[in-house]
Amino acid sequence: MLHIKDLNKSFGKNHVLKNLNFSVAPGEVVAIIGPSGSGKSTALRCLNGLEIHESGTITLDGEVLTHDEKSLQTARMKMGMVFQNFHLFPHLTVLENIMFSPINVKKIAKAQAEQQAKELLHRVGLADKAQAYPSQLSGGQKQRVAIARALAMEPEALLFDEPTSALDPEMVNEVLQVMQELAEQGMTMIVVTHEMGFAKEVADRIIFMADGEIVEMGTAQQIIEAPQTDRAKAFLANVL
Amino acid sequence: MSFEFITEYWPLYLQGAGVTLLLAFFTVLLGFAFGILIAFAKLSKRKILSLLATTYIEIIRGTPLLVQMLIIFYMLPAFGVQIPNLFGIAKFGDYSLVVLALVINSSAYIAEIIRGGIQAVDKGQTEAALALGMPKSLMMRKIILPQAIKNILPALGNEFIVIIKESAIVSVVGIMDLMFAAQQVRSATYLAFEPLIMAAVMYFIMTFSLSKVMQYVEGRLAKDATH
Ligand SMILES: Nc1ncnc2c1ncn2[C@@H]1O[C@H](COP(=O)(O)OP(=O)(O)O)[C@@H](O)[C@H]1O
Ligand SMILES: [Mg+2]
Repeated sequence: MLHIKDLNKSFGKNHVLKNLNFSVAPGEVVAIIGPSGSGKSTALRCLNGLEIHESGTITLDGEVLTHDEKSLQTARMKMGMVFQNFHLFPHLTVLENIMFSPINVKKIAKAQAEQQAKELLHRVGLADKAQAYPSQLSGGQKQRVAIARALAMEPEALLFDEPTSALDPEMVNEVLQVMQELAEQGMTMIVVTHEMGFAKEVADRIIFMADGEIVEMGTAQQIIEAPQTDRAKAFLANVL
Repeated sequence: MSFEFITEYWPLYLQGAGVTLLLAFFTVLLGFAFGILIAFAKLSKRKILSLLATTYIEIIRGTPLLVQMLIIFYMLPAFGVQIPNLFGIAKFGDYSLVVLALVINSSAYIAEIIRGGIQAVDKGQTEAALALGMPKSLMMRKIILPQAIKNILPALGNEFIVIIKESAIVSVVGIMDLMFAAQQVRSATYLAFEPLIMAAVMYFIMTFSLSKVMQYVEGRLAKDATH
């Protein structure tokens, strides 16, 4: 479904992504782990065109991602994104946050979009917060709304960039729970995370990145239980 | 000190204050419209547009309003620009020229207010909007600007106050604003400064009331923002 080939990206002289190669199959959950600054966020952001990659190809459903506005927009609709800091729209209610793009971008009828938004809120356990504003929610609730908002576009895959890193510890689980349910329902997911428990339990595959490279890639057992490289060993010794 | 002249001349002051308020009002209105264009030009990815806008802003902010006004007031007619007395308003052409000068001046400041207001909106909002497939124009209209307006409005009110005060220089070219009224009273009564004090009091009443109104509006906005 998603193929990344020889992906490269630099910020000025800083070569941030070096020849990334990997594919994601439909329904697969891929966790990306690695030290801070290793290029995990940049890799995700290249996938839906928030960053413009320099060379290499990203192929989604057989279509190569180009950087004209239309192609980017299509790719973004196919790949939803959930951010570390939620980025809900503060001037819109929870329900409006979720319905906005289905109505204004996908041109779905309002009644239908509202129905769908309510179902999604129910699914993330926040049916009673439809009329609340983001500032009235806890971090965990915000992130669950952000997930519902991304799902409302009916994407083929969801990208998560450290979705629990900005949360107080007691709220991490409610978000991971929602993500686990999504995975079980067959959602294709790429998750940048420091939650090794989640990676181990939910991810079909783990990519370990360091210094802009994919250093190791394999099943959770292979990467977490038996890392091959010194860099992976050192990283895991720190986070586990 | 004697303020007895007020009993005779207060209509002149009121008239002048009315002209001052009208000038300021139209200046803010048109300056806002023009300022939006300049702000977007400056934010544009097109280097030329952005450079033009930056140059305009820097030149206008780097030269005195008085100089700008005199240049426009004397240069345009010298190049054959003639504005007829529309709407039955005497000296309509003169009014237009000073408003034009004030608008050119304030639009540079307002453009910076608008640009700052837009850029103060969290970058994450843009990213979230783009990630949801929004085209840029939709994002700007429905996501960024509604948030930016909360940063922009208070500063715009402040600019209104600044214009009320700065517009006093239009009296130099014979526009009958509040300052001009004060000068007329001075020469009619031979009082050196009392007519000016009266003008100062009236300027202050206008700016102080306006700043109170702005505080109220800001309070409302802040309340909205904390939904
Ligand atoms: N917008 C940017 N401009 C310049 N450098 C950036 C930008 N975003 C990220 N970087 C740099 O790219 C490298 C990788 O960053 P990032 O992808 O955020 O890593 P990670 O998510 O793994 O912590 C870092 O060195 C970071 O400083
Ligand atoms: Mg990151």
